[in-house]
Amino acid sequence: MSLWVDQYRPRSLDDLHYHQGLSARLRSLAASGDFPHMLFYGPSGAGKKTRIACTLKELFGPGVEKIKIDQRIFLTPSKRKLEVNLVQSNFHIEITPSETGNYDRIVIQELLKEIAQTQQVDLNAKQRFKVVIINEADSLSRDAQAALRRTMEKYMSNMRIILCANSTSRLIAPIRSRCLLMRVAAPDSDAMGTVLDYVARRVGFDLPPDVAGQIVEDAAGNMRKALLVLEALKMQSPDLSGNLSIAKPDWETYCHKVADLIVQEQTPARVMEVRAKFYELLSHCIPPTVILKTVAERVVERVDEALKADIMHWAAFYEVRMRVGSKKIFHLEAWVVKVMSLYKQFFYGMDLTGFD
Amino acid sequence: MAVFLSNGLLGGGQQKEPATEPSTSAKLPSFVPTDLLNPIEEDTSTSTRHIDPADANQGLSEPPTFTLDKDSMTESRSFVSNGLLSGAEPVDTNQDPSARISMLNTETTPASRSFVSNGLLSSTEPIEANQDQSPQTPAPNTETTPASHSFVSNGLLSNIASSTSSFPMDRPPQASSSTLRFNVQARTFSGKAVYIRKKSKLLTNQPTQQLSSQKIGKLLDVPIHRLMDELSAATAARLAALPSREIDTKNAAPEDTLLVDRYRPRRYVELIGSERVARDTMTWVKMWDWCVFGRKKGKKRARDGDEELYDDDEYHRPRDKKLLLLSGPPGLGKTTLAHVIARQAGYEVMEINASDARSGQIVDDRIKPTLEAGATIGSKKPVLLIIDEIDGATGAGDSSATFIHKLVQLTQQKSKKKRNGQKNGPEVKKPILRPIICICNDHNAASLAKLRPYAYQIRMSRPADIHTVKRLRTICDAEGLKAETRALGTLVGIARGDLRSCLNTLQFIKSRSDEVTEAMIRRATAGTREADNTISSVLNSLFNPMTRKRVKELGLTEDQEGRYVSRLSQEIDAVGKESSIATGCFAHYANLRQLDANFSRYEKANEWLGVYDYMTSAMYSEGEFALSQYIPYLLIPFHPLFQERGSARVERSQADWEHSQTRRTNEEIFKSLAGCIRIASGKLGGSYRQFMSSPVLETEFAPYLNRIISPPLRPVNSQIVRPEERTLLTRLVNIMASLELRFMQERAEDGQLTYRLDPPIDVFVNYDGKRAVDITVTRYAVRHIVAGEVEAKLTGQRVDIVERSKPSFRSFFGSSDKSNAPSRTRLGDHADGPPSKRIKVDLADKPPTDFFGRPIDLTKITVANQAHQKKHAAKCFKISYRFAEGNSAAVRRPVKLDSFL
Repeated sequence: MSLWVDQYRPRSLDDLHYHQGLSARLRSLAASGDFPHMLFYGPSGAGKKTRIACTLKELFGPGVEKIKIDQRIFLTPSKRKLEVNLVQSNFHIEITPSETGNYDRIVIQELLKEIAQTQQVDLNAKQRFKVVIINEADSLSRDAQAALRRTMEKYMSNMRIILCANSTSRLIAPIRSRCLLMRVAAPDSDAMGTVLDYVARRVGFDLPPDVAGQIVEDAAGNMRKALLVLEALKMQSPDLSGNLSIAKPDWETYCHKVADLIVQEQTPARVMEVRAKFYELLSHCIPPTVILKTVAERVVERVDEALKADIMHWAAFYEVRMRVGSKKIFHLEAWVVKVMSLYKQFFYGMDLTGFD
Repeated sequence: MAVFLSNGLLGGGQQKEPATEPSTSAKLPSFVPTDLLNPIEEDTSTSTRHIDPADANQGLSEPPTFTLDKDSMTESRSFVSNGLLSGAEPVDTNQDPSARISMLNTETTPASRSFVSNGLLSSTEPIEANQDQSPQTPAPNTETTPASHSFVSNGLLSNIASSTSSFPMDRPPQASSSTLRFNVQARTFSGKAVYIRKKSKLLTNQPTQQLSSQKIGKLLDVPIHRLMDELSAATAARLAALPSREIDTKNAAPEDTLLVDRYRPRRYVELIGSERVARDTMTWVKMWDWCVFGRKKGKKRARDGDEELYDDDEYHRPRDKKLLLLSGPPGLGKTTLAHVIARQAGYEVMEINASDARSGQIVDDRIKPTLEAGATIGSKKPVLLIIDEIDGATGAGDSSATFIHKLVQLTQQKSKKKRNGQKNGPEVKKPILRPIICICNDHNAASLAKLRPYAYQIRMSRPADIHTVKRLRTICDAEGLKAETRALGTLVGIARGDLRSCLNTLQFIKSRSDEVTEAMIRRATAGTREADNTISSVLNSLFNPMTRKRVKELGLTEDQEGRYVSRLSQEIDAVGKESSIATGCFAHYANLRQLDANFSRYEKANEWLGVYDYMTSAMYSEGEFALSQYIPYLLIPFHPLFQERGSARVERSQADWEHSQTRRTNEEIFKSLAGCIRIASGKLGGSYRQFMSSPVLETEFAPYLNRIISPPLRPVNSQIVRPEERTLLTRLVNIMASLELRFMQERAEDGQLTYRLDPPIDVFVNYDGKRAVDITVTRYAVRHIVAGEVEAKLTGQRVDIVERSKPSFRSFFGSSDKSNAPSRTRLGDHADGPPSKRIKVDLADKPPTDFFGRPIDLTKITVANQAHQKKHAAKCFKISYRFAEGNSAAVRRPVKLDSFL
């Protein structure tokens, strides 16, 4: 028994509820027999993986749904063992190379070559090639991406690659140019409402429109989140009546608290307090960029118009540093200090540089 | 018997003693002379009972009846000794009643042995023997050994005992004659004769006697006159060498040895530094005496009567602090202290230092055999192990092969081993019965973490400069250096009390001139690095300006003092742990009191930290280690930004470390959750797999899953829940079972049973130790129900898998039996998943029910039966092979058996 998100996930291109135009295009691509490398990108929870799975089914038939999951161990040059989870059917293989961090290049090189060098033997197969799906392509290291670009051309006859990423900005241009870019936009609220209704109907209960509206609003275009919220809500208050509050993830609530702390007071003591909170968040394995983004968005909501642009600018600035650096807490705190300083300057209405 | 002899010899001098004794003595028996001339016999003839004046004093504490034990014998012996020594000292042994108490449990054999050997050897030095005796008698723990020792020596030497002086020669006949006697007659004060039978078992001591007499020959295999000759020759040589050595020190010696070696303390009294440290060390080493030397040296213990203070284990070693960890900055004489004390306490030193390999293997290969043997080869002294510079040994990390780990194991294991040993017999390894002293600079070194709980820690600190200066002055005088006290003070100040570096500097100066002035010292020490660099000291010098004292010590001008960059960068570089220093700076800077109106300094500090992080991560990820020389400079700006005179000492904050620890545990939990998801998606055809990737798992899946699995359920019996609750429960159980989440029963500290989620993914909704408000904490009773159902479900699944394999097997054999098909479908979502486990065969016609009246399905049995029947039937079966089913899908088609035949 799985969660609703999985249980009522569309299995074929026909079942998809929104972006019909995209579905039609994918269908015709799959039928054409000249299937290119593809790059699916779009925000989290928009349905990229679902769409990829549907496309695969269109390409190869129901055989792709016979999936097995196993682990493979790769050996780094320094004899370290890397465990990579593989999801594979007879026609495709799905990997997340970023699981191995800096060693993703090795996974890409070894695995892709191995797959590319074996031809499809099954004469009944619809297509002559196999498909490799690379998840989280945007967190591939530069080396891995470089390893990918030549492989993509060389083994075109045996293999197609489908990349799945949140944004294309972190993919090197040679890769982008080798792929057909498929943007999967976040569904609008009507589409999300439809999906929620559909799931509710399938499960067998009525979803009050206001509840659906609340969920959609909260999820902000993240379908997966909306469905998880729906299920959590249904679990916690089975009759879906009365005063319902949409549960926010705890880390988000906590981030908002941090933002409030920053806006309320700007003192060294507060800096320390905020630092303790950041430590707490980081120790819960929340990605630091997510923390920075959530806190920054909340701070921006609460400050004067004149400051918003600056705060966001510095958030972006420190996010870059954070990605490059390794001590995340330094950059989080640097941003906090920057924001406090900006806020104070604004509050006193003058630039205090050189005051003391 | 011997006693009697002595009394006889001493005559009237003794007679006064009984007169002073208390009235109780009336009950005591007086002794009767039974034998006149067998003084040697005393060792074995315990049958003799006598009351000497000393005994009389003890009359109060001792019962009037005789006990024929060793104690009484030893007393008699000690009395004899006194008697022979001199008539004036009969009272000697009476002086301290506690002395006798200590004698009560001494043993005969060592006493008798030492008696003979000492007696013979000390004959050349009668005066020394007497000196030995006199200070020891008043000492509370006088033992028989010295007493008997002195007896013989005196006996041999004294003029009065001219008649007895021959007794070593006629000992053998005497001894043999004494063994023939069966009993001994004694008489009480009332005149009643008492016959005391000789203890037969003591006859076994007879060989010892002869043996010791044989030993005489052995011990003196070099004739005494030759020994004497050698001695005098040696003395003559020494005397002859004396004047020449004085000349040596003037010209030859300086080239030969370093000052450091020449003036290294050789004896305890020469040690410099805190006396307490030396004393503590000595005390700790002495605590091993009982274990290593037997009782011989445990003098303090008996006097204080505080044996229980020394927490001994079964081998009389210190109970839990079996190692000594001596720490302190370099040059204070830790190694010297350890060596001196070891020698002083009578040990042979075995040293392991950084020049030796110090992997875990060394413990097995070198340390253990030596310690087990107890002594190094060719030495009679017990060994004491000194592990110098132990902070450089392998020890960090969790590996069990590190030096430290093995060492700790070595010292700790034996109590365990001992227990086994009693069962397993003698082949079990011997426990380590020798002390180990470990020496290090930084007692906080990470590698010593495991050692610290088992070590008695002594920290050496810099002795007061006066003492160091005084010692330097003595050395200068001896070396013929003219030194101003002021110059020496400067030297000590610059070296921070490091005596070794002081002496090296002095030697350096000495090679040029005979005078030591302050200017010379400044010149000689210019540019020396700070000796003692730890992370906290560097942090302190980053956040504090130099102390006035230090500035003065180094003799810096104001201008020089202001130049901090090279000084600090050197310090940071010397420690070499830039990341810890950066973390320390980060942890500390916001604690400072300084007013910073617009955070400008904070901004700058963070800017520098950011650059630091940028550089280091570039260095590590790109392998650009050429950058490392610039890293220290990125942390120096904290000094001009935040230095503050008189601010509090920088404490290293643990926040960052704690954070990394909790992060690690939480990552583990996520990993196990990901593992659960993998299993679930493996079972369910890949349905959960989208959640496995990292940001989704943490930010979306974990928080909502926690909400999904905590529905509001009433704690009621699972049989009587309402249908809507039943569906809720079923769904919950299904989700939990598919993800392999379970409630594990646990007993809390207060003894209450609780259910814990396993893996504990509920930590992800706990922030600051508080649970999210919208998640109700499910009560114990609810969790109990859920746990039961999940367990049942999982068992049911397992049974299912087994059963599923059977039908496929059966259909393979062309089973036409379809009637079982519906019953094989998975049991409903209701919780009675596992009934197949509880199947009983009901003989009645009605459908079988279990105890609660629910129908039981008989699938399993029927399946088994049918499979059995089919085997017999075996009408038509096909066999097909599947080959290399898997990723490659190379060949995959059913093949008939015919094609193989």
